[in-house]
Amino acid sequence: MTSIGGIPFYILEFGDELVYFTPYTITLFLLALTFTVLVIISRPEQQVDIAFGGDAYRTKEISVSEMRFRRFMAIACGLATMGAMVTGDIFNFTLFTAMVGITNVGIVAAVKSPHVQDAAYQYGLVSLSATIPLFGGAAVYAATTGSLSMIELMKGVVPAVPLVAKAMLMLGVIGEGMAPFYAAKAEMFRAPGAPYVIMCSLSSLLIFLRVVEIVMLG
Amino acid sequence: MWDQYNIGLLLVMFSGVIGFVALALETDDLHRLLLLDLVEITALGVIALLGTDLAEALVLPGLTVGIAELLALSQIYITKEGLKERPVRGLNIEVIQKADAPLIISGFLVVYGLVLSGFTGGGVAGLGLVFYFMSRGYKEDINMLEMASGISWAIWIFAFFVFMFLPQYWFIALMGAAVGIVLKVTVKMSLVGTMWGEHRD
Repeated sequence: MTSIGGIPFYILEFGDELVYFTPYTITLFLLALTFTVLVIISRPEQQVDIAFGGDAYRTKEISVSEMRFRRFMAIACGLATMGAMVTGDIFNFTLFTAMVGITNVGIVAAVKSPHVQDAAYQYGLVSLSATIPLFGGAAVYAATTGSLSMIELMKGVVPAVPLVAKAMLMLGVIGEGMAPFYAAKAEMFRAPGAPYVIMCSLSSLLIFLRVVEIVMLG
Repeated sequence: MWDQYNIGLLLVMFSGVIGFVALALETDDLHRLLLLDLVEITALGVIALLGTDLAEALVLPGLTVGIAELLALSQIYITKEGLKERPVRGLNIEVIQKADAPLIISGFLVVYGLVLSGFTGGGVAGLGLVFYFMSRGYKEDINMLEMASGISWAIWIFAFFVFMFLPQYWFIALMGAAVGIVLKVTVKMSLVGTMWGEHRD
């Protein structure tokens, strides 16, 4: 049994939970794990504002409650990303992806600035509407192949997955992974508390990489 | 079967397209949120079209994720628009506040929910409690309710571990899961019904 991500090292079938590690998914998983650990141990960046025309400068203040919330959201995002990397079940993947979307909304929305809040709201609308093709795609997968297991898809014993299901899954993941664009729109990458915003970019990059593998399986 | 599925899928997709067109035309932020909730139903429709036990198992997490995103977005909307919380004091209807009818109705719903047990029973019993709290106002300790919810959730998870590791004790696990989920859903639903007034004076 070979797959696009290499030969699975390890397959865990526990109840209806299905987890497997291939060279590809384990690389993505370790990347997500490393960044989650970095988020746990790192402290938010305090940027320096320099008064124009003078030599006065001060660091921006970050309230502890805001920092805590964003760190929690970033860690939750890391956990959801790790889950999406190793799961072997299409529907679990869509649920983890939707959770990445929710936590990305949280990371962006924690900054108490009207401009950022507005961007977070617009992104939230996109990610909420993206759950429709996402779950719909998974449902069409189940309806046509009779299985949600990626291992079964890998074996090639089930009927071929229609292109529309793959397109829906792809569209859903693109919608959920939109966060970096909205963070860039709200200039979040220049806002204080830098390490947590990076989690947005990383998680959406990783779910894009994973969905490519899933789409090429069936 | 395949034909029925195709027709159903076509209908659901069509209603989804109608929803998205409405979403594209609408410019008010709050209305777009409400429309999205409507469009979200079509996703559940696509899943429900599977028509098997699996569909039921997939609709629940789909619904939960949808509600979670909706709650998060409403919270952002409230913050974004700078809306202040308004105190809510239950239903201000004299007949409901004074008469015994709400007590009887909610008592019936709770008993019926306990008989049903499981997720549906929890929903019915929780609805009874919500109705009672809404009609009478409440003075309950929210923290106690949350603790009860947490403990019943732990019972539920424990029952699942019994299913996994000690399948010969399936009956006790089944009872544990049924009781756990009925308590959990009941408490959560009554919390949803009452927590809006948490910060009232």
